[in-house]
Amino acid sequence: MHINCLWTTWPTLSRIYSYSMSIPGAPTAKEKKYDRQLRLWGAAGQEALENAHILLVNATAAGTETLKNLVLPGIGRFTIIDDAVVKDEDLGTNFFLDDNSIGLSRAQKTCELLCELNPDVQGDHIKDNITNFIHTNPEKLKTFTTVIITGDVPISTLLSLDNLLYTLDIPLFVLKCVGFTMTCRLALSEHAIVETHPDSTVDLRLLKPFPELVALYEEKAAIMDDKEKMSEHDHGHIPYVVILLKALDDWRSTHGGNIPSNYREKNEFKSFLRGKMWNADEENFEEAIAAVLPYFNPPSIASTTKEIFEDKKCTQLTATSSNFWIIARAIKNFAYDDNEGILPLPGALPDMKAESKDYIRLQNVYKAKARADLASVMEIVRVLLSGLGRDPNSISESDVETFCKHAGFARLTRVRSLNEEYEHNPKVKTVSNELSDPTSLMHYYLGIRAYEMFISEESNSKHTPPGIDDSTAENDAEQLDQYVTVILDKLNIAHSPELLEGTSKAVREIVRVGGGELHNISSLAGGLVAQEIIKVITKQYIPMNNTVIFDGISSRSQVYEL
Amino acid sequence: MATATVLGAESPDRWRYLNNILNRKGPYTDEAFTPGDEPKAFLADAKILVIGAGGLGCEILKNLALSGFKDIHVIDMDTIDISNLNRQFLFREADVGKSKAEVAAAFVMKRVRGVTITPFNCAIQDKDDEYYKQFKIVVCGLDSVEARRWMNATLINLVDDETLIPLIDGGTEGFKGQARVILPTISSCYECSLDMHTPRAAVPLCTLASIPRQPAHCIEWASVIQWPKEKGDLKLDTDDPEHITWLFTKALERAKEFNIPGVTYSMTQGVVKNIIPAIASTNAIVAASCCNEALKIATTAAPYLDNYMMYTGNESIYTYTFTHEKKENCPVCGNLPQNLEVNPEWTLEGLMERLQERPETTLRKPSLRTSSKSLYLQAPKQLEEQTRPNLEKKLKELMETGDELSISDPGMPFNLRFIITMSE
Repeated sequence: MHINCLWTTWPTLSRIYSYSMSIPGAPTAKEKKYDRQLRLWGAAGQEALENAHILLVNATAAGTETLKNLVLPGIGRFTIIDDAVVKDEDLGTNFFLDDNSIGLSRAQKTCELLCELNPDVQGDHIKDNITNFIHTNPEKLKTFTTVIITGDVPISTLLSLDNLLYTLDIPLFVLKCVGFTMTCRLALSEHAIVETHPDSTVDLRLLKPFPELVALYEEKAAIMDDKEKMSEHDHGHIPYVVILLKALDDWRSTHGGNIPSNYREKNEFKSFLRGKMWNADEENFEEAIAAVLPYFNPPSIASTTKEIFEDKKCTQLTATSSNFWIIARAIKNFAYDDNEGILPLPGALPDMKAESKDYIRLQNVYKAKARADLASVMEIVRVLLSGLGRDPNSISESDVETFCKHAGFARLTRVRSLNEEYEHNPKVKTVSNELSDPTSLMHYYLGIRAYEMFISEESNSKHTPPGIDDSTAENDAEQLDQYVTVILDKLNIAHSPELLEGTSKAVREIVRVGGGELHNISSLAGGLVAQEIIKVITKQYIPMNNTVIFDGISSRSQVYEL
Repeated sequence: MATATVLGAESPDRWRYLNNILNRKGPYTDEAFTPGDEPKAFLADAKILVIGAGGLGCEILKNLALSGFKDIHVIDMDTIDISNLNRQFLFREADVGKSKAEVAAAFVMKRVRGVTITPFNCAIQDKDDEYYKQFKIVVCGLDSVEARRWMNATLINLVDDETLIPLIDGGTEGFKGQARVILPTISSCYECSLDMHTPRAAVPLCTLASIPRQPAHCIEWASVIQWPKEKGDLKLDTDDPEHITWLFTKALERAKEFNIPGVTYSMTQGVVKNIIPAIASTNAIVAASCCNEALKIATTAAPYLDNYMMYTGNESIYTYTFTHEKKENCPVCGNLPQNLEVNPEWTLEGLMERLQERPETTLRKPSLRTSSKSLYLQAPKQLEEQTRPNLEKKLKELMETGDELSISDPGMPFNLRFIITMSE
């Protein structure tokens, strides 16, 4: 579009050439459309989204809003499975239905209106209910990247679906929105994240400088305190990394070779630095003083990274190990076998007051060291791959580079299955610890669990929710109270009416709405869940583990591992 | 449209769940809540104003329409850009270039029967007090600090025996956001919390001019120094791709000269437009929280937020809900002037420059008065000329300790008040 306009309005050949032919890196149409999100998860994250296929079970307002927030950023494909027919009350909560939808398939109509949002996305629908679907088509589940289930689904179906997906390593989100309350549970057997997006990956190695860094600073160190040999201007432009390395050397020589290790010594060290200033407005020295607390740490490996290294999948690689585990193992070997227990250098250097050339030189020293470490890790990766009988070049250098940069921040999460929570291994303490606090959101968790039992009751074959009639609402609430005690008894948690006052209120709030959704809460839920799904699919940022509860009355949320 | 009238008569089932909330008291509902027709009538009659029809605004309009509000106004002066489509779900590619307010209003009215949305394709400053007075609630989904301050101050100025319009404000950045409720003069206002927004640290001019180290330094050099130098009076339009390309090319050349890697087109755009990452899901969370509060305030079906909820989604899901405290010396909603220590040797002009650097002032064309005299007035021309000589004078000639200094500025619908202390 702009090129056409340039041809006509810019007459000189050189201009036409420079603007129309060779704007290196000018954004493509897709990059323009997705610009604001690419700045968060980059091209790799976007590609992962575009390769994903999401299954939504039941097009409730919350489910549909979740899909909306995934269709907009360009998820590859989605499928809605739902056997419901659109009713008038759906229109009061679901924006992706209109008057013409009434009486038609809810899966089909929501799918149609969602597809309007983004021509890049493919949407499908299946008119069926999930209980039936997993009996007749369980193998089809394999085709999905992530599954979201919402609506009034009996517990037995939830647990069967969880069983099937957990073994397939497919993330399952169980989403409930009733009135002002929402809960969402993630079940995912294993989730490894390299790009966790920490605030900073900077590691200056001040306490363990590598030889190239030592060489660089020694050059300056000799003249640093010498007013004869160094101009005031140059002194005010020494990069603070060099200032700190020199000051550390001086400090060691008067402190028996030790470095400032505790808070008091670090403060003394700061005064020591201040004493080296030639005048009061040397910003580079101020920067050096500010860098003491954040960067004066001996290189160490975070417990979250150690967990990865010590995992069986890391220590016992197999021919089918994923790239994550092979790279993790290579980095582990690099750190412990070749590098005194230090991870590869990430290579980032923060900005600091300095002459351009000095800064760039210092930056290049860090970058060169990071590249050298990467080359060593890459070599180990190749050896490992060969040893496993795989193509030694089957893992790209850029994947290894990303891992090396984030080695200190990588995460491995195992999120418990729903079956563990409900049947085999419930988190009794997590629940019981919260009960005595009347403001705890755990009361809503129990209320929703009781709600599930209500709609799962055999005598309630249509899964009718509690509270649909004014006249029976209190009876239904008492029934839910009863289910709460059943759940607590099963968990062996002692309870009393006083202890359950908060739960009793939560139950009444849940019954109040008569089983339906309030659009705002469903929309909020759709945002929260889509955000978690994006994190899981892109394998970037850290998803919740494993249950989030939001209460729209107090506008609070809480995450519990259940 | 014969069918429209038939369908327009909504079935009683349509709002069943919303009605359940309004017909039944909950365990946390205020004692004063009368279930039934009263809250429903309020929802149906209350005029509600939405500021902004962008990422948050689209969500807010949808949410309010599905919360039972029937008479909604929306103001937005922007037109639709291609980069809006990844989250502003009421817009399509064919809408690029059209008014956001108009397209958004038309879409929601078509989808949700029975709601009237009146769009205004203009600046909020184009509307007067009489206009704002007609609303029961204002919901803000803005990305500009200045517009928020203006709206906040305007609603606080409107407070009298009959008028108190709650302001619900949302904001997002990447995976983070916040929703808050402001009851003008009663709870903490936007101005009270201005110090929570740390402005982006400015790069010293000498770094840009002589010792660049980062790609951003090269880009800022191109826009701040080279553009005015080479383009003269031509105004830099950051939405014009030719202008961005020019800056990008210049920045790239400079980066090459200093061996600085990493200048890209996308980064050039990001730096000069100060782009904040924005995604559908965060907008959904914050807008929904704002509208949930609007519904609770309008119906009293449940207690509303007192008064601030922060959300962070980078690592797990974290919200922090708290009461932000009102500032007694808030220049907008407080009763007390702030203290200001000045050096008697400064000139009036020097004082103005220093005030402009403070994050809470950000003045454009300030006029200054003490209770007894006008120190400097920007307009009318005659008075400007009369007071101009004061700019050169030292403060000790113009004021003394204990004087109240009042500053007005076209960028602020309120006056800043300071009690002067002359430093020794």
